[in-house]
Amino acid sequence: MLWLCIALPQLPLEALRSEDTDAPLVVTACEGSARWVVCGNPAAQNARLKPDMNYTVALALCPAVQKIERSPAAETAALERLAAWAYQFSSTVIPGEVPLDFRQARSGALWLEIAGSLKLFGGFRNFIAALERELALLHYSYQLGIGPTLEGAALLARSGIRVVMSSTAALQLRIRNLPLALLSLEPVIAGALHTAGVRTIGLLLELPRGAVNKRFGVQLGNFLDRLVGTVADPRPVFRLPARYDARFDFEFEVKSTEALLFPLRRMLHEFAGFLRARDTGVQRFTITFAHRGATNTSVDIGLSLADRDANLFLTLVRERLEHLELPAPTIGLGLIADQFAMPAALQADLAHGSLQQNEELAHTIDRLAARLGAQHVHGLRQVADHRPEASWTAAPLQATRETPQFPERPLWLLPEPKPLQLSVMPQIVSGPERIEGGWWDTVDVQRNYYVVHLSNGSSLWVYQDLGERGGWYLHGFWS
Amino acid sequence: MNRAETLQHLAWLCRNGRTTLAPVIEASGWTELDAVLPGGGWQVGTIVELMPTAIGIGELRLIVPALARITSAGRHVTLIAPPYVPFAPALSQHGVRLDRLLVIQAQQAEDILWATEQSLRCRSFGAVLAWPAAKIRDREIRRLQLAAEAGGSTGFIYRDVDAAHEASPAALRLRLRRIANALQVDVVKCRGGRSGVSVKVEVPCSGCA
Repeated sequence: MLWLCIALPQLPLEALRSEDTDAPLVVTACEGSARWVVCGNPAAQNARLKPDMNYTVALALCPAVQKIERSPAAETAALERLAAWAYQFSSTVIPGEVPLDFRQARSGALWLEIAGSLKLFGGFRNFIAALERELALLHYSYQLGIGPTLEGAALLARSGIRVVMSSTAALQLRIRNLPLALLSLEPVIAGALHTAGVRTIGLLLELPRGAVNKRFGVQLGNFLDRLVGTVADPRPVFRLPARYDARFDFEFEVKSTEALLFPLRRMLHEFAGFLRARDTGVQRFTITFAHRGATNTSVDIGLSLADRDANLFLTLVRERLEHLELPAPTIGLGLIADQFAMPAALQADLAHGSLQQNEELAHTIDRLAARLGAQHVHGLRQVADHRPEASWTAAPLQATRETPQFPERPLWLLPEPKPLQLSVMPQIVSGPERIEGGWWDTVDVQRNYYVVHLSNGSSLWVYQDLGERGGWYLHGFWS
Repeated sequence: MNRAETLQHLAWLCRNGRTTLAPVIEASGWTELDAVLPGGGWQVGTIVELMPTAIGIGELRLIVPALARITSAGRHVTLIAPPYVPFAPALSQHGVRLDRLLVIQAQQAEDILWATEQSLRCRSFGAVLAWPAAKIRDREIRRLQLAAEAGGSTGFIYRDVDAAHEASPAALRLRLRRIANALQVDVVKCRGGRSGVSVKVEVPCSGCA
């Protein structure tokens, strides 16, 4: 087993906010009556605000600092979305648990078993390059570590050691001189070890295990065993859900649709990762905008061909957003998909023309339908019915099966026949053509159709109603 | 290389450059019209403005043979904001493949232009027919012209006949009117050809048979 750990030191902040601001911003958590800083954005770090600092002190150092409340639920949701995304790189993905204690909150992590994946991706270097390329699109701060045990890989990631440790012996040797603080132990134990003069991991490992268990509890001894791989470290493995249902709750209200694009981009890239992991595509998915005090807004995104391109998804969502009036500020996003289909681009379709053009056509039609509404972009089909208004229908683009034969017909048909006031009978060029039908579906039609010429050169298709209504009607143009 | 040789070489380069840039032509299907159009037909990758005096004089019939050929060749045709229902039985009778025909019902003027540009840019469309809702400006025609070049499709823009008096950057501008049993096509502007000529096209007065 070789584990790749993706450590997410800024997860408490990044789970709540997907884009960075220039203003100092910290995530805080309450313990007792005091409020503590969990982590801060780069601007806050520049203002010398450090994790585990009392919030009052932080305010004194930087009065302009803004705070948001830590949300372990949001961190769990983010880790789950990431796990679904990571499944494309490995079939064994373990999302770490989100620690409730805020002092350990920055140890959020995700593990991938990679020994089985390296060959598929063409070696270690290619694998890491592919992973980092995709990971960069999600805009998380991350560190990578690769080691033979879960805790070992996490420790290497947190220490910023990007050297592969494939054996436990090499791992032990490499971590000997690392400071104890990197282990992210419980604060009480870390304090006790510090008092006892144990400053490096090597020193702690050299202590007799029995004594360690007695003095600091069995849990620490067990942790050390798992770290160096002397005992197994069983964890629940992430299972890819059959239905994709991701949520992203904000800690603040988002008013502009422009600002929604940042979290949307991340969600769609995670979604695309999930689709790659399942080796499938999607033709229809739903994005929900949660509002406070108003019903949620749902937007269905439909594609004419199944796909898994995050940028295409984003273009379509953006197009819809531009024409959408959200009733209230947004406090959360949801993405749901449960119908999957193989992307058309990956299916060999040599018989039907060039693949790339089909895909381009589908993308263009999707863009048009996203902006103008799907019912406004359609193909045409003939219907075997003698009534002109019933002899055609709007239909999706597809090969037609029936080709009924009619006498010659005009190129333009009026959506509704228009009553004509005839003072002078125009010049009749041909006719009448008797058209009857429709008694079976209540639109009974008895008409005599004529082609008439007007003095300005127009040829019209008019009819005389032989039924109860009577009168003359304009029904089309011979354009 | 002496001066004469250099000149000769340059002339050769010019000629060569021109032959490689020969425009692709889609025959209009009307011999009288093809005779006056440069290259002998609709030039692919350009904007054609059609300005009929009235509706129902054969203004759509004029380009239907080209549409039939384009759809039969497997490329798509789109009608953007048509004024009436494009009547499927008639199109089918004239040889247009309906499974290659897309209708876009846009209402807003800017939506129509946007849809036209998007369709022109897509290489799958061989021809794009549009009926702009509002007066279309030079700048917009120029944008469409660029899109048509990029997508290799021909854009047929139907405009009011009054527009014939104004200038436009479109490559070809035709005024259409019916005289007796023929469609009179006045070439208002023709890039790479003769403007100001008129030609009688025997567009059959449909339904008169």
